[in-house]
Amino acid sequence: MNAALKRYTPIALSLGGGLALWEIVGRHTSAAFLVPLSATLERLVQLYETGRLVELFLSSASLFATGFVAAVIVGMPLGLLLARVRVLREALDLYIMILYATPMVALIPFILSLLGFGFVPKALVVFLFAVFPILYNTVEGARSIKPELIEVARSYRSGEWALWREVMVPYTLPYTMTGVRQAIARALVGMVAAEFFLSSSGLGGLIMTASQSFDTAGVFAAMLIIGVLGVALTRVGTLLEAHFARWRD
Amino acid sequence: MSLASALPAAQRSRIFAGPLLPRLIAAVVILGSWEGLVRAFAPDFVAKPSAIAEVLPRVISGAPFLESTAITLAATAEGLAVALLFGIALGVLMGRSLVADRALRLWINGFNAMPMIVVLPLMSLWFGYTGYARFATIVFAAIFAVIINAAEGARSVPKDYVEVGRSFRSGRFRLLFEIVLPASMPYLLAGLRLATGRALIGAVVAEFFTAIPGLGYFILYNSRTFHQNEAFVAVILLAGFGVGCDALISWGTRHYLPWYRRDEKAE
Repeated sequence: MNAALKRYTPIALSLGGGLALWEIVGRHTSAAFLVPLSATLERLVQLYETGRLVELFLSSASLFATGFVAAVIVGMPLGLLLARVRVLREALDLYIMILYATPMVALIPFILSLLGFGFVPKALVVFLFAVFPILYNTVEGARSIKPELIEVARSYRSGEWALWREVMVPYTLPYTMTGVRQAIARALVGMVAAEFFLSSSGLGGLIMTASQSFDTAGVFAAMLIIGVLGVALTRVGTLLEAHFARWRD
Repeated sequence: MSLASALPAAQRSRIFAGPLLPRLIAAVVILGSWEGLVRAFAPDFVAKPSAIAEVLPRVISGAPFLESTAITLAATAEGLAVALLFGIALGVLMGRSLVADRALRLWINGFNAMPMIVVLPLMSLWFGYTGYARFATIVFAAIFAVIINAAEGARSVPKDYVEVGRSFRSGRFRLLFEIVLPASMPYLLAGLRLATGRALIGAVVAEFFTAIPGLGYFILYNSRTFHQNEAFVAVILLAGFGVGCDALISWGTRHYLPWYRRDEKAE
């Protein structure tokens, strides 16, 4: 009890202090600039009661999930394949590194003019944001597998399947999970970027329409939701990474 | 003796063992299939390697491209400098003071987890469709990675170093500039690496959004007017810049801080 109190008191103070500061500053500035916490929450409740918030949230969530799951489905097997087939890895690692470092937002105008405004191009944006961290980290992990490990497995007459199950996958997975954590954060940026720059939809779209009609409370309400979502997803990513990295030093 | 040198010479000199040839082949395959697909299925204006190569010399010697590049890079550097200055100050404060750390950590981590581009509409409300909105976006995009890494760096400074400094009656500023900051250099570089990438994204996105001159707008304008090949030159430059910064910083870490090895943390 005492330990819990000690642990959570600073967190509560920091959270409470920050929110109080937001409220006080918000009340003393123009509403076009900053709205206080209370007004933001009021707007949030309003949005919730009309059912719009749930609708927007689900729209964003399905976009995020589609792009992210596609990135995992493509990125993980491809990464593992590159891990095993050395020639393929050597052929592609440079390009994966380049694409990993490229700001993918720059491709949005091209996607827009090629594929238009629908759901697919938007999911493609999320996919592009998310897939390269997964690939890049998996390849990095594969590169760091000690050749001795494979040699030993081979000398014990390990078959291809056993080699994958016992050496390749367990060794690379922690790295892949680092990639997945990064991918979660990037996919969220991709989601908002797609909702901003392709067709306006979901929570990103709410920010856009609210800012265009000078509804600052609406802007803050949507930002608050996306912020909380970001924190929650980051937490999931960190836990996932920690879970798989237990044995990595 | 390492395993690599123990491999039979024949195996090492095998033509596919060198990384250059597979890479070249991959490049030919990738660019070839891009070219082929676009020629077969896409309208004429869609970017393809041959056409990009054709317009490349003209674009990179043209005034619009050079001006856009200069504007965007200057804005990124400016925002990054401010983010570094304030980010390091705040991060060191958090790393060295428990009170500051407890008060701020929650918020810094929270903002860091937020997809930075959500602030764009707000920035354009606050600053209008101007360079200030871009500047603010870049600072917001970059600063949290700097703060987090600087705090971690300052926290990781070995106690002994600080104690030795103290016992030689070193003042607070000398302690900061001669012990804490140099000792947390690897963390600061890791923060810089993340921050540079994010600042660049922030700049491009802000230019898309506010339509102020710069590389982002150059891409937007050219791709909207069916000049995708020209627009793609700017994408190549951005990719090159991203890769170049990464390479420069990891080279710097290896060269100047050879004693340090650390996996890339928090993105």
